[in-house]
Formats: sequence, C-alpha cells, structure tokens
Amino acid sequence: MDKLVAQYSRPSHQNDFYTEEEQTDMTGSLPPLSLKFALPPVANPSAFLRAMTDDHSNPSCPIKLAHGTTTLAFRFQGGIIVCTDSRATAGNWIASQTVKKVIPVSRLSRGEDKPSNDPTPGLLGTMAGGAADCQYWLRYLSQQCTLHEIRHKRRITVAAASKILANLTYAYKGYGLSMGTMLAGVTPQEGPALYYIDSDGTRLPGNLFCVGSGQTFAYGVLDANYRYDLSEKEALDLGRRAILAAMHRDAYSGGFINCYHVTEAGWVHHGFDDMNPIFWKTKLESGEFSNVTSEL
Amino acid sequence: MSGYDRALSVFSPDGHVFQVEYAMEAVKRGENIRHPYHADGTCAVGVKGKNIVVLGCEKRSALKLQDTRITPSKIANVDEHVCLAFAGLNADARILIDKARLEAQSHRLTVEDPVTIEYITKYIAGVQQRYTQSGGVRPFGISTLVVGFDKNDSTPRLYQTEPSGIYSAWKANAIGRSSKTVREFLERNHQDDMDREQTIQLTIKSLLEVVQTGAKNIEVAIMTPGNRVEMLPDDQIEAYVKSIETEKQEEAAKKKTSRTGAATAAILTRPGGGETAE
Amino acid sequence: MLQREVLLGITGKDFVIVAASKAIMRGPTIIKAQDDKTRQLNRHTMMAFSGEAGDTVQFAEFIQANVQLYSMRNDSELSPSAVANFVRGELASSLRSRSPYTVNLLLGGMDPHTQQPHLYWIDYLASLARVPYAAHGYYCLSLLDKHHNPEIDLAQGMKLLEMCTDELKRRLPIDYKGVLVKIITKDGVKEADFDNDKIVRSA
Repeated sequence: MDKLVAQYSRPSHQNDFYTEEEQTDMTGSLPPLSLKFALPPVANPSAFLRAMTDDHSNPSCPIKLAHGTTTLAFRFQGGIIVCTDSRATAGNWIASQTVKKVIPVSRLSRGEDKPSNDPTPGLLGTMAGGAADCQYWLRYLSQQCTLHEIRHKRRITVAAASKILANLTYAYKGYGLSMGTMLAGVTPQEGPALYYIDSDGTRLPGNLFCVGSGQTFAYGVLDANYRYDLSEKEALDLGRRAILAAMHRDAYSGGFINCYHVTEAGWVHHGFDDMNPIFWKTKLESGEFSNVTSEL
Repeated sequence: MSGYDRALSVFSPDGHVFQVEYAMEAVKRGENIRHPYHADGTCAVGVKGKNIVVLGCEKRSALKLQDTRITPSKIANVDEHVCLAFAGLNADARILIDKARLEAQSHRLTVEDPVTIEYITKYIAGVQQRYTQSGGVRPFGISTLVVGFDKNDSTPRLYQTEPSGIYSAWKANAIGRSSKTVREFLERNHQDDMDREQTIQLTIKSLLEVVQTGAKNIEVAIMTPGNRVEMLPDDQIEAYVKSIETEKQEEAAKKKTSRTGAATAAILTRPGGGETAE
Repeated sequence: MLQREVLLGITGKDFVIVAASKAIMRGPTIIKAQDDKTRQLNRHTMMAFSGEAGDTVQFAEFIQANVQLYSMRNDSELSPSAVANFVRGELASSLRSRSPYTVNLLLGGMDPHTQQPHLYWIDYLASLARVPYAAHGYYCLSLLDKHHNPEIDLAQGMKLLEMCTDELKRRLPIDYKGVLVKIITKDGVKEADFDNDKIVRSA
C-alpha cells in the first residue's frame, strides 16, 4: 500500500502555487498564442514579409495582398447599421467584385449569409485590410465567442469580443497583420455597441466609423447627415449612400453594396446590390453626381 | 483505514476519496482549539434579499492579547463587486482568495468586463477541484460563499463552493460549524423579495442561533447593485442583536403566558408567523 | 514626427489637474474625437497616456490591473510615488525587451496619508521625475514656468490650464479636439467641466 501511496504522492514543492499554467487553465477563453505559424527562415521575418507584400513602397512586390475597401458602421436609435462595398484588389488588379465583407461572428449564424427577414442572433464583424487576415481572425473570434457562450451560458458582450480580438492583434503587432475591423452588436448588458479594432492593437468604442481606402469619401457623406435619432429607413439609406459615394470616388472600392441592420434580436441582411443601377438611379432621380454626364 | 486515506489521488475500493471527505470535515469541525491545522470552527451565512445580498460571519473568538482590529477578517473582497466569506482553514483560504483576486483582475484585463459572480465561483470551485485530483497536494479545507452583483444587473447572486469542487446557487445558505442548524433556521424563515432591513435582520438572527457571544463576535457585509461592499458598523450590529434579543424575550414571555392560557406551544413555534424560533 | 497628442498636468496646494487631448488620429483621419486617454489606478491616483497606438491602452490597463490587484490583496492603496516607481520599473524592463512599450505618461495623485499632491512625468525611455507641472507636447512648459507657483488654488489652476489650451489653439497646426480634464483632490478623481469651444484669436 505504501508503495502505491508513494507513487501518487509528490513533494509539495513541486506544485508551486503560482504556476502560470494554473491561471491559464481556467482562463481558456483567452486567445492562446499557441497558434503557431510557420515563419520564413530569415533573420527578421516581419521585415521580410513587409518587403514582400508592401505594394505601396514597392509596386513590383512579389506578393500582392488583397486590399482596398470601404466599410462603415454606425449606431443610431434603432440599433446599428453596417454597410460595405464588395471589391477586393491586389495591386491594381480587381481580384473580385463579389466579396462578402461582413462576417457574422456567432455560433448560430456562422456560414449562413442568406437574406432573411428573421434576425439572426449574434455579432457582425467587418473586413478591411488583408482579406485573409480578417477572414481567419474573425473566424477564430467566432470560435472564441461560441466557447464563451457555452461556458458562460449567455452571449458574449461586444466589449469582451472586441477585446479578445484587440489583444490578439496586439500580440501579433509588428508581424505584418493588416486589418481594420469593426464589431457591431446589441446585447442586453450594453445596448447597441460598436467597436473599431485594427492591426496596431487599437480598440475604440464609438458611434460611427468608416474604415478602408474609401473611408474619407464615406465620412464626407455620413458625417454631414448623421443623427442618432434617424429612422431605420433613413439610416439604411444613409449607409448605402455613403458607401456609394466611396465606391464612386475610390478606385479600390466598388461592386455591390452590402447592408446589414443589427438589433438586440440579431442582425438582418438588407441586400447585396449592384452599385451601377443604384448609382444611375441616384443620379437621375435626385440629381446628384452632376459631374457625371449622362449624355453622349 | 488500510491506507486509502493517505494518498489523495487514490480511490478506496468502495469509491471514496477520503482526503476530500476529511477536508469537508475540516470545514464543519468546530472546537475553538488553536492548532495550526485545526479549523477554527466558525459559521458563515449568506442571504439574498430583493436588491441586496448579505454575508454574516462569526468571528473567531479572540484571545486576550490578540489584536482583533488587525486580525484578518473571514470576509474578503475578490473584486469591487464580489465578496467572499469562508469557513474552514484560514491559511488555505488566503491562498484561494489570492488566486481568485488575480483571476478577477486578469479577467478585467483580457475581456474588459468584470467577472460575473458565477464565473468567479466556477473558477474558485475549479481550483478546489484540481486539488482533489493531483498527486502530492492537499485539498483546500474550506467552503466559501461568494456573493455580489454582475455588471449592469440588479439580481443578487449567492453561490457556495466546497472542498470537492462542487458549486451551487442558493437563496440563503450557511457553511461551517453548525451550518445545518443555521440552514434549517433559514429554510424556515427565508422569504423572497426581502428588503434591506429584513435581509440584514435575518442574517444576524440566523447567526445568533449558533453564536453565543453576541454582537462583538459577528461581522456583516452588505452588497448592493453597483456599489462596493459595505461592512456594517459594530454599533449597528449591536443594535440589531439587541432588538432581536428583546424580541426573543418577549416571545418567550408570550409563550409562557399563552401556555398558561391554554394555547398550544406548537402554534407559536411554527414558522411563517413573522416572529419565529426560539 | 509631429507630436499630435497633448498631455498636461498642474499641481496646486491641494489638487492635481490632468488634461489629455480627446482626438485619436490615424493617417488623415480623426477616428475618434471624444477619447479618454486616462485610466484611474486607485482611489487617489490616475494616469494619462500618449504614444504608439495599441501600446498606450495595453500598458495603462496592465498597470491599472496590477495596482487594483495590490489594493485588493492588501486592503490598502499604493501611494502615488509607489505607483510611479512601479510604472517606471515596468517601462524600464519593457525598454530592454524585444518589443518595448512606446508610451509617454503623466501620473497624478494625492498621497492618502500626507494629503500632498503628486505629479510625475514619465516618458517612454522610463525617465521619472516628480514635477509641480508637466507637459508632453509643445508650448506649455515655458508658459507654466512663468505663471505657476505651488500655492495656487483650484480656480487658479484651471485658469492656468486654460492659458495652456489657448496657446495650443493659437499655435498647434492640428485640431486635437479639446482636452478631457480630470481633477484629483483628497476626495478622489473626478472629471471637470472645461470649455473647449472657446475661440482663440491669434495675434
């Protein structure tokens, strides 16, 4: 018997009370940095990556990341509006005109992106910067949010979800991540909440954000007509119009206008619409875009 | 005992983990003998009211030269909105509370929100559980009551954890020495939606079931939504104790007269009449 | 690079004023105009920060969590000087690490025992100095050199702050969207009303 006892007993000093492992054991909801990525076998991987991918300073760089976007989101009395364009560019090349830049971050809605009138529970994330980075890390965030939901028996707050993502981007700061993301959601604890997170590790709560190469154009339209007490229709129209403005002026934005409305019940998709008919309709019916001629 | 009680991570043939059961005994056990590894046998009570949750604690009776003013209390803050009372081995509790405090801050740092009461309870119970399933360690000889309010929420929360790692939610509960007596008292007298006065009163009243020495040996901590813990000042506790005692005396006197007046004592001791229990 | 954030600190006989600009800028855009670049550390101590995006908040909240943990564990609060030296130590060890925090700080507090106001100037190279008034940014130091004295009361302190922000409005080529003002007294930290909409004319 004593032998058996000895076998399962260890001197107590081997169990230090303050091992980090013990703490992290219970805090499994944190972004584990155990996700290992292969790094190029050079002295300074992050500088190497930057040299290979930065088409701004080196137009003939060998890897052209998918870039260029206009995304916007704003809070108003009826919840949050999220609108994006749908163009992905790699250098001067339009890689796609049908990118879905709004990514549902939730267990129940992951993978589903069909237009529907029933709200789908969960948060929305937007995608600007490197398409792969955004897709990968928002999927990762979605996984963490689902785990949180199961562990805590309630939906994660937007504050917590955005912090998980910001801690993650901060941990990878300097490794060449490129993302500018907004997280939107309405929870019973915090009401409508909107956060901006980028690859510098910045995380900001706010009422209104535009992100991407077309952000200045979108801000121009949005800031002028934004009020917190917009009606739902006004808000959707304003969001669409601001995206249209950016698609029109920014060469790296275009394609389809993608629009979402987030409420406490969840998000509702309000169309993925070709910009061209909308542009002409706007021009001809409301007399805007007068610099564009409609005559031959 | 054939040795099955010696190693923690060995089951006895009939399925017991004796060290854990001994730890539970350490929580309950209660002579006031001072010994480094002896539970000092006090009782802790937690009671939920409508928008309030109250912790009551029996203080360990001090020796003559002990400085009670600076001797650590059995009620501790885990975070600004979470309060914890324990029964069992003092020294073990210190370690456990420290871990909980670290986790509470770490949680704030990583997800911004403060911990929910359930989360920190689960964490504490989780730590306790791990000390029942690894070699060379001794389980925590404490039970805890964890109380507080979640952020932006006015629902009072009260949880209990045990040395085995079990945790459970309660409307009112007691741990430690004579906890069974106190719990039975609470079962008879607890009502939903008690106001502040009623909740404090019930807490102290239930403690007085087992605390002989009265006001100077009781601590009371009060939590309300969005506020830090409030320790009830000694003179107020004394006032409560006094009013409860006079009430009891009146009760006893009434009982005496009514007994002579041919009423049955059984009716008076029955719960629910508002003034109950001897 | 042009410094685009403003931090100011002024002490008087029984208070500390800390002011931080409210704008957050990325490239050509102000992405937030109502930001709070301060964190309260414990009841009588707070910190204002500026510097590299991401680093600032991460560092400030790391310090905040540790100071609060200290308060919880010991049921007593670290004095401003203790916090300042802790912060300096953390910055100094980060400075020699692979990824140092690029953060400039002002730390203000009332010592809970002596009731003395404390203000510390800390930069990202982990220099620490206790000062009667401080600034991370331009123009204000000379102005404060001339007008400050340690015996001023709160109203005079706010007047001084206004002189500083007036000068910044006159000379700084950017709009920092006004300042958020926090006042620390023996009763703790509170946000102060401050008129940021005043129009200042240049000479």
